[in-house]
Amino acid sequence: MSHVITDACIGCHICAKNCPVSAITGNIKEKHVVDSKLCIDCGLCGRLCPKSAIKDAQGQTVAKLVKDKWEKPVIDQSACVGCSVCAENCPTGCLEICAPRFHGDIRTIAELSRPDDCIGCHICGRVCPIDAISYKSN
Amino acid sequence: MSTKYGGYMGKVLKINVSTREVTEYPWSDEERRLFIGGKSMAAKILGDNLTSQTKPFSAENLLVITTGPLTGTGAPSSSRFNVSTLSPQTKIITSSNCGGNFGYYLKKAGLDGLVIEGRSETPLWLHIRNGEVVFNDAADMWGLKTGPAQKALDERLAAENGKPVKNGKLVIGPAGENQVLYSAIISNERVAGRGGTGAVMGWKNIKAITASGNQQVRVAEPEKMKALNKKWFKYLRSHPLTGDQLPRLGTAGLVSTMQMNGQLSTKNYNYGRYDDFELVNGETLAEKYNIVNKGCLTCPIKCARTVEVDGKPVKGPELETLGLLGGGILNNDLEAILKWNYELDELGMDTISTASTLAYAMEAREKGLWDNGLAFGETEDISKIWEDIAYRRGIGDELANGSRWLAEKYGGKEFAINAKGLELAAYEPRRAVGLGLGYAVSNRGGCHLNGGYMILLEGLSMNVDPQTPHGKPDMTVMFQDLMEMVSAAGQCLFTTYAFFPPPLISKPHAWYTRAFCKAVPVIGPVLRLLNKFPGMLCFNIPVVFNQSKALKYATGMPMNFGKFFKAGKRSYTLERHINTRFGIRRKDDSLPARLTDVPQIEGDEKTRVPLERMKTVYYHARGWTQDAVPTPRTLKKLGLAGLASYKETCEAFRRGEFQDKPAGRSAGAGKEGA
Repeated sequence: MSHVITDACIGCHICAKNCPVSAITGNIKEKHVVDSKLCIDCGLCGRLCPKSAIKDAQGQTVAKLVKDKWEKPVIDQSACVGCSVCAENCPTGCLEICAPRFHGDIRTIAELSRPDDCIGCHICGRVCPIDAISYKSN
Repeated sequence: MSTKYGGYMGKVLKINVSTREVTEYPWSDEERRLFIGGKSMAAKILGDNLTSQTKPFSAENLLVITTGPLTGTGAPSSSRFNVSTLSPQTKIITSSNCGGNFGYYLKKAGLDGLVIEGRSETPLWLHIRNGEVVFNDAADMWGLKTGPAQKALDERLAAENGKPVKNGKLVIGPAGENQVLYSAIISNERVAGRGGTGAVMGWKNIKAITASGNQQVRVAEPEKMKALNKKWFKYLRSHPLTGDQLPRLGTAGLVSTMQMNGQLSTKNYNYGRYDDFELVNGETLAEKYNIVNKGCLTCPIKCARTVEVDGKPVKGPELETLGLLGGGILNNDLEAILKWNYELDELGMDTISTASTLAYAMEAREKGLWDNGLAFGETEDISKIWEDIAYRRGIGDELANGSRWLAEKYGGKEFAINAKGLELAAYEPRRAVGLGLGYAVSNRGGCHLNGGYMILLEGLSMNVDPQTPHGKPDMTVMFQDLMEMVSAAGQCLFTTYAFFPPPLISKPHAWYTRAFCKAVPVIGPVLRLLNKFPGMLCFNIPVVFNQSKALKYATGMPMNFGKFFKAGKRSYTLERHINTRFGIRRKDDSLPARLTDVPQIEGDEKTRVPLERMKTVYYHARGWTQDAVPTPRTLKKLGLAGLASYKETCEAFRRGEFQDKPAGRSAGAGKEGA
């Protein structure tokens, strides 16, 4: 599974510059290519693409979205068990297991420690084994 | 070879590091159904490829790294992987199960397992990138300790990719490079410690293996799996052991309980209590030194500790390390243990075997057998001893061969605390005789986990009479089989702690808890029946044992508690069947004389392990001969008749090489109960 760049690509290189796993290559003003072996389906390329030239793994065109509208994860604090699957899969490392709130804290959970780095990819919600993550935009 | 089952990636790679040839290892759906994964799958692969002539340090020996079907499915504590090989330490097959995140990433790379054969001429780092194997030169990393080596791997991957690459890692330290017989494989902070897997990796000249990829595990019934996970995570978090004791105190929390029960090995298993235990127990560790609880990926339990050594946050010690490097060598300095634990991880050595070998050496000197300059309680220069072992210098060169080898050279076999060459963990079996049996019969040598961990009932969490042998062999068989399969499915054994309903743990004096504890020794015959006919248990146990149901939802195979139990039995007997090839018989299922002949409490004959008596019942319950050889009938019943070695076994039995019928049937259960 991987995102695909269509012929509408104008080679602006924005996607390649921002791809969190360096899966996109191509020269400026030429059509870019996604390496399906590296792509993690975060969809950031599609949200940034000025020409909406990117289709997701299901073949749907990814809609362009300004950064303020990207949906960020909200963690259900009572449900989260701190298994760190979300943090491990987060492509930008903006999710982390929180520091202990007091000495001997055994209930450390996930938190969005660097919200500005979040790219709204929804991967954390997909991998959470207990659906403790929901989303909202600013 | 793809698979119809969920939970698997459907691909196992065979890598020949001599020729750098990579092929797909044939692994069929039928084998997936029979052997599930993990150590069971590895045992099948080793059994198919090793002969009685194979040597641990040879190109023919395989290093098999496998995952279980639950790894990557979101099941709790399921990011584990297993390393199996022919052990240089025990000379039989060994398996070491490890947490961390490598198992998770190996599946992301699209593989269920790796089978590595041959020997590279130059140091090698294997990178598994989405199912492809990249051979990298590791000459510049050779000699590095495990911490710097892992850092170097991250840097090299980032340099190649332009950005940091998330990956799972396996590395060996100097100990593995120099073939210290008990060297370990390290993955982040976690350690596949037992059996000397690191030495085999080092001999093959493989410094590191990394895995990365973007693939996802397909679950057969995702909705049901997620619903089960939600309940399961919640249950584990609410259970007094997995939701409170383990997160709060880690495994180290057991030190105080063991002290109370006389089960804390002290001065090389001379005593069961250590006067200064309060200075080196889990409570002190938690209050004074633990900075934060850490856990493996996907784990809600988080039993790992993080402590500071030289101002740097590093992994804290587990119970076995605390017990053996504390009371075991009469050391009451916890800070020294924290430092040694870190140093041993950096050098890539198993802390249990290292500590126990050291304790043997100290006692050998005390008894005048070996003048090595070591003494109980003298711990100033111990760090230097670790280095000497890892680099095989001076007395370290001999210590690196383990306690069995040393006892053969210098004498004192009665206090070289090992079984089949593998040193025992910190639990003193004379005050938990069921565990004593487990240590002795365990397929990989003196291991508490492979031995069934009966001590959990014999004082750690329940109060079953620790001195009675009654009912213990049958219970050991049952626990071994279930733990075998939990491990093979890819999960941590701590998830089985929750098998005992919370009231049994939190209310030790309630009538039902006392009734349960009283009942265990007398329900042997019932357990025997279940052990003989696991198919009778054709249901799933709700709430407390979710493993079988999870396996069903993840893979889509028909699965219930009985099938799960039987698969464990199959795996355990398969391992013994393979070990038979390497000459393992009843005489090898033994403990040092100190534990079987000398009572821990002078004058109290009950405080020693009545091993021979329990072994007779145990073999009978397992369907092995009294010489510990699985019979063709047992192999066939467990679905192992398709093995290439099955016919040979049948012929050997026909020739009369092994006793055909379990001798002493009449001397078995009936008399034990009398």
